[in-house]
Amino acid sequence: MKQLAIGLYLLVTGFLLGFALCQAVYVAPNDAMQGEIFRIIYYHVPSASVAFVFFFLNLVGSVWYLVPREKPPVKFWRAILFCLPVEICIGVLMVIGAFLVAGAAKRVMLNSLTGVGLIWLVLYAGYRLVSWGPARQKEAADALAVASAEVGVVFCTVVLTTGPIWGRRAWGIWWTWDARLTTTLVLWLIYMSYLLLRRFAAGPQMQTLAAVLGIFGALDVPIVYMSNRWWRTQHPAPVFGGAQGSGMDPSMVGALLWNMLAWFSWGVLILALRYHVERQHQKIAAAKVERALAV
Amino acid sequence: MKKLAIGLIFAIPIALFGAVAYLILFSPSASPAALDHSYRQAAYAITWAIQLGYLAWLGMKWWLQKHGDHARKVNQ
Repeated sequence: MKQLAIGLYLLVTGFLLGFALCQAVYVAPNDAMQGEIFRIIYYHVPSASVAFVFFFLNLVGSVWYLVPREKPPVKFWRAILFCLPVEICIGVLMVIGAFLVAGAAKRVMLNSLTGVGLIWLVLYAGYRLVSWGPARQKEAADALAVASAEVGVVFCTVVLTTGPIWGRRAWGIWWTWDARLTTTLVLWLIYMSYLLLRRFAAGPQMQTLAAVLGIFGALDVPIVYMSNRWWRTQHPAPVFGGAQGSGMDPSMVGALLWNMLAWFSWGVLILALRYHVERQHQKIAAAKVERALAV
Repeated sequence: MKKLAIGLIFAIPIALFGAVAYLILFSPSASPAALDHSYRQAAYAITWAIQLGYLAWLGMKWWLQKHGDHARKVNQ
């Protein structure tokens, strides 16, 4: 059953990536001013969105790791009660988003379905996390934190490479020390240092130090997001939620949303694989310690 | 067969990086439209190269964990 679900998810993700690529290359029109180079946005913006979401997940994992836990595992109904406010919030946000962003009934249905899927995902993940014992919860939170930071850095690297390629054609330069670009580079450096700390530091305090760094690193995410709203920047205006005159032509929004969905789907896939690898690594490390103590 | 598969997994991202370098450094500058096309292709190729390269590295790590000595001892 589990293998079937994974296979189905792989199929859907592959289809979505192929379909989104077709939308970006063949369906969406060229920009009147920029021409074809504008199509880089269909990979650049979704990558940035996925990176932000994963850095937020790193924050959740880091906070979860640092929260002291003394209580025994809770019962199922308590886990459900714990998850309920989160589910309701996500459900309401998704429904509002579906009505605000999507014009066609098809897209509304798609967004609602994604919302329902997300609600169940949160319900299940929340139940699993809350019903585990304190030690297991800590391990899971730490694995989630490191997995989301690493995958977030991968997506952030995509942003920092596709951006300059666009900039070279649009501005004539690869890089400029503009607020949006600089804050994004700082964000990437913070999470790279997080990963280097995890790779090279040793001792029992390493996870705690990394969790603290993860929390401070997450503070840069809203600064990156708001940078081209707060300051006058060379970077283009925001696609969503910008001032009057910003945004995209409706004929281009569909391609962007499909690419967002496809890259989110891909991101979740590699996040799940990275999380699994980290959990396995924890088990191997624990077994090593047990063997050393037994000798 | 396994070695061939591993080689292929790593060859695709490397080939994509090569394509990016070619598209940006040696693209014919005949017209702005052709240059735009090359740069767009380079951006898409580098995205896939990074993502597939990371997936290959992750897959390798997972495979080593599954078949490595430590994993065998833990499973025992």
